[in-house]
Amino acid sequence: MLQCIFLLSDSGEVMLEKQLTGHRVDRSICDWFWEQAVSQGDSFKQLPVVASPTHYLFQVFREGITFLACTQVEMPPLMGIEFLCRVADVLNDYLGGLNEDLIKDNFVIVYELLDEMIDNGFPLTTEPNILQEMIAPPNIVSKMLSVVTGNSSNVSDVLPGATASRVPWRTADAKYANNEVYVDLVEEMDAIISRDGVLVKCEINGEVQVNSHITGIPDLTLSFANPSILDDVRFHRCVRFRPWESHQVLSFVPPDGQFKLMSYRVRKLKSTPIYVKPQLTSDGGTCRVNVMVGIRNDPGKTIDSVTVQFILPPCVLSADLTSNHGTVNIFSDKTCTWSIGRIPKDKAPSMTGTLVLENGLERLHVFPTFRVGFRIMGVALSGLQIEKLDLLKSVPYRFYKGFRALTQAGEFEVRS
Amino acid sequence: MAPPQQSQRSPSPSQPSGKGEVSDLKSQLRQLAGSRAPGVDDSKRELFKKVISYMTIGIDVSPLFGEMVMCSAASDIVLKKMCYLYVGNYAKVNPDLALLTINFLQRDCKDEDPMIRGLALRSLCSLRVANLVEYLVGPLGSGLKDSNSYVRMVAVIGVLKLYHISASTCVDAEFPSTLKHLMLNDPDALVVANCLSALQEIWTLEASTAEEAAREREALLSKPVVYYFLNRIKEFSEWAQCLVLELAAKYVPSDSNEIFDIMNLLEDRLQHANGAVVLATTKVFLQLTLSMADVHQQVYERIKAPLLTLVSSGSPEQSYAVLSHLHLLVMRAPYIFSGDYKHFYCQYNEPSYVKKLKLEMLTAVANESNTYEIVTELCEYAANVDIPIARESIRAVGKIALQQYDVNAIVDRLLQFLEMEKDYVTAEALVLVKDLLRKYPQWSQDCIAVVGNISSKNVQEPKAKAALIWMLGEYSQDMQDAPYALESLVENWDEEHSPEVRLHLLTAVMKCFFKKPPETQKALGAALAAGLADYHQDVHDRALFYYRLLQYNVSVAERVVNPPKQAVSVFADTQSSEVKDRIFDEFNSLSVVYQKPSYMFTDKEHRGPFEFSDELGNLSIGAESADTVVPAQSVEANDKDLLLSTTEKEDGRDLGSNGSAYSAPSYSSAATSQSHEELALTNASVLGQAPASSFAIDDLLGLDFPVGGTAAAPPPPPPSLRLNPKAVLDPGTFQQKWRQLPISSSQEYSMSPQGVALLTSPNALLKHMKDISIHCIASGGQSPNFKYFFFAQKAEETSTFLVEYIINTSSAKSQIKIKADDQSSSEAFSTLFQSALSKFGSP
Repeated sequence: MLQCIFLLSDSGEVMLEKQLTGHRVDRSICDWFWEQAVSQGDSFKQLPVVASPTHYLFQVFREGITFLACTQVEMPPLMGIEFLCRVADVLNDYLGGLNEDLIKDNFVIVYELLDEMIDNGFPLTTEPNILQEMIAPPNIVSKMLSVVTGNSSNVSDVLPGATASRVPWRTADAKYANNEVYVDLVEEMDAIISRDGVLVKCEINGEVQVNSHITGIPDLTLSFANPSILDDVRFHRCVRFRPWESHQVLSFVPPDGQFKLMSYRVRKLKSTPIYVKPQLTSDGGTCRVNVMVGIRNDPGKTIDSVTVQFILPPCVLSADLTSNHGTVNIFSDKTCTWSIGRIPKDKAPSMTGTLVLENGLERLHVFPTFRVGFRIMGVALSGLQIEKLDLLKSVPYRFYKGFRALTQAGEFEVRS
Repeated sequence: MAPPQQSQRSPSPSQPSGKGEVSDLKSQLRQLAGSRAPGVDDSKRELFKKVISYMTIGIDVSPLFGEMVMCSAASDIVLKKMCYLYVGNYAKVNPDLALLTINFLQRDCKDEDPMIRGLALRSLCSLRVANLVEYLVGPLGSGLKDSNSYVRMVAVIGVLKLYHISASTCVDAEFPSTLKHLMLNDPDALVVANCLSALQEIWTLEASTAEEAAREREALLSKPVVYYFLNRIKEFSEWAQCLVLELAAKYVPSDSNEIFDIMNLLEDRLQHANGAVVLATTKVFLQLTLSMADVHQQVYERIKAPLLTLVSSGSPEQSYAVLSHLHLLVMRAPYIFSGDYKHFYCQYNEPSYVKKLKLEMLTAVANESNTYEIVTELCEYAANVDIPIARESIRAVGKIALQQYDVNAIVDRLLQFLEMEKDYVTAEALVLVKDLLRKYPQWSQDCIAVVGNISSKNVQEPKAKAALIWMLGEYSQDMQDAPYALESLVENWDEEHSPEVRLHLLTAVMKCFFKKPPETQKALGAALAAGLADYHQDVHDRALFYYRLLQYNVSVAERVVNPPKQAVSVFADTQSSEVKDRIFDEFNSLSVVYQKPSYMFTDKEHRGPFEFSDELGNLSIGAESADTVVPAQSVEANDKDLLLSTTEKEDGRDLGSNGSAYSAPSYSSAATSQSHEELALTNASVLGQAPASSFAIDDLLGLDFPVGGTAAAPPPPPPSLRLNPKAVLDPGTFQQKWRQLPISSSQEYSMSPQGVALLTSPNALLKHMKDISIHCIASGGQSPNFKYFFFAQKAEETSTFLVEYIINTSSAKSQIKIKADDQSSSEAFSTLFQSALSKFGSP
């Protein structure tokens, strides 16, 4: 299993080292890894699983920090990678972000967390809710508490209730003055639009995120108006499988706080909310660019934060681009970003300009791919609708339910 | 009292600054150690933090060991945790000082707070100092009986740590049996899961010396234990679920009902949020249904959606690991995924290793219905900024063309590539057009027209140049200016750095000479002269050979250099199916990511729990035959065997892949060596059906090898092996045996065309085999791939032969894998089986 975990900063410095088994892994492995990463250009391009001369390395790269795990034995690779992703997520939750300073300031907490998350190379508890009961996050509340009570320990004195409770992902004795559940549908639209404007592929990856603060052990059911559109679903461990099999109803005892109840995929969507039409015409060493953006299918809510981004092909010497709406920026790494914001009602935004090609090149041979971003609040574009959310048993307290939806562009690309 | 180590230990050169600060810290810690002033805990904590941060950045703070231990006699849990961390890090290098910590750790193990008990026990076991093990036994014993599950959970892993420090102490204290009891009775799922992982490791390591441990390990796979875990699986944490699923994948159910029960029970695991669980479940499903061809196919259908979701959600790293597994499945059963080809379209900002896998999958799933769209998509990538991917996608287009779907449209696309005027696109396309022509000579007219327009000056890459030259030579009768193009190439002989190109040039000029002697004579003379003067041995030798051949007799030379060719039907596969199967057996492991079976990249000692099942298999045979040594050896031998055959195949593959992608002549040499291999394997009996490709030899290397007309080898003498015509074997036993036995023979075989034709009626082969007492137990597959499982028994004893026979009807290539109880007669059986196949379809 995993023998050692390293956290590397974006300059390759070892910020943290956690040996997990009796076979010590020497730090020099990080130098080897870093040399490889540097020689490859950047560590994102490195394979997630690397064979070094002595160990197999799993690496996950998040916000400039490389999480590196070493093993010498055969093991399921996804287990190593999933675990590192969880470590990154949990640290992100605990520290309120991920960067070198945060980790260095809080390395004791990081050690404590790793101690509970993995023992002898085998992952133990990675549920954020349970970890938070064992090790308090370094937030303002606990800082205040420590000032007031003089007890600055961030380790709770009691063991988490969940380890003893019937429902392992939930404490038995949650108590709230206001009982509330918020359900968010968060969707990402992935689409590819070909050179001739044909929608090659369009699908939605969505999540049902729940934030629950309910007293006791509530048993909830959530049903959709149109579950048949879902192509494939994945559930949090709290979801009971049988009710879903028979009636497509989500029946579950929620963990306390924020969690991802379910993720789903909807395939073969027929249209996108906006269109992006790039046109490139080359002639005699220059290339004219014209990109038009507009609403294709009005989702009924405002489309926000619309951006169009593309990378100039290497053979382009210089570019002069202007737009009639929003701003155009060209960065030194040849990335062009056109930020449109909200699409105006009265005119269609367009970006025009010319690209000057390398000497000797008549026409542009390599065509850029335009990546589009947008955000629509209040709509789940897959069409998925929540029908109702119920508490199974009647409870003596009032209970507030809230629903929201959001769709944003995932990998939305338009080829030219 | 400075520790004695301090003076000897020189600070590491990279951290020269640490020394002063360390001695500073030392004096400060010493001051605080005895103090009871209020607020002293806070200042201690600050100091500890400093020490640990030094430790983290690599400064050696081990000289502070004594002071740290003195200071840690506090009640503050954060202080304790930091101290545990420090002690754990340095105890191994300071075994004497570690003794100091035992005392306070042991005291903490009896603390009333279970959290402290657990933490102390964990730290105690993490000291890993061999001469302190005696102090571990007591706390571990009471930890295992602790009322709090957290402490028990820590203690179970502690036992494993103790085992690694001193196996004998652990076994003497009878910890393994305590763990076994806990595993089967503890109410807490985490404790149970830890017991399982600890026991697996301990018993696997013990099994080599102690028979009892081997039995215990085997018992982990017994029905009651596996069922016990499966029934509780929902209680386990996601990671422990992976462990249980791994165990279930090794379990051999006794009948098909059991298989369906297990699959029903586990079906919802495919919906789990954790990708590792989904993949582990997938492995169980695939392993369980290996012998049930049609159910196996349904499993593919069932796991398809979850895996595709995993690929498209999640981080790029997760996506890659899942994609590698999906890649394996797609390669095994492309037709199942042919409707999902859009999932394998590349996104613009995916890393190129992901794109590469996706391109391979797109190539594999192409069929009649989707070829047009896939090729259209691939052509878009050809204009990609990422040049390696652009090349890769052009190659993919070529591969699809060679799979013979909708060739018409593809040829047009390839020819468009040639007109794109990008040097790397032209280069790749040339290589492909050459391969295409070797398979579909009927397209030569269209291609030649375009190729003829390409000036060899615009082609720089050796592979592409070689391809162009090959075409110039091969089709010189259709190209007006071929002799002159070749002539100008010969003139620049000295500037041509690649010997491969020069070799091709020699052959091409020769071919051209036979077709257009007057125009080429000058070029030939120049080429031979230049070749004879060449410093490269191969080029020199080939030139000399041609020269002497021409001197001897021109018409003989033509027969040797430019014989009539037959179209190549199938290009050599890049990876042998043996290797692919082996990787499939290691599903959900690193093997899949590396696309190599584990024996090719891991040391034997590190192969880990995956060796488990093999060894177990051969152990249970040992129990039957009361002889544990022989089967072990045979497995070993088989292992080597396998290694040998794969390396052999790899040799062939290297040549083959070279050839298929780039150079025509060297490919046919691969074909020769392959048929050579087959000859050696099958005792000349297949020579009659030797692959048609060996007739296509235009290479000189092939000359020393008797091919073609001489093939009338006598059929093999009737084998002496007699089979029981009424043999019976139930599917469960077959499956069990199939798992346990090593492969005793594995061969490739080309089916005669008549035989292939007969295969369209489903039971023809089964009946044919039954006539000679080889019975079919299962069969299935979809055109063009069929799979059969046969068995046979010897007439006079109950020794059984098991056969897996896989055939691709479009290529007529098939693979035979034989497993036998009696290894010695497997050779005879193999001959019998093949002679039966050769009679199949002949009147």
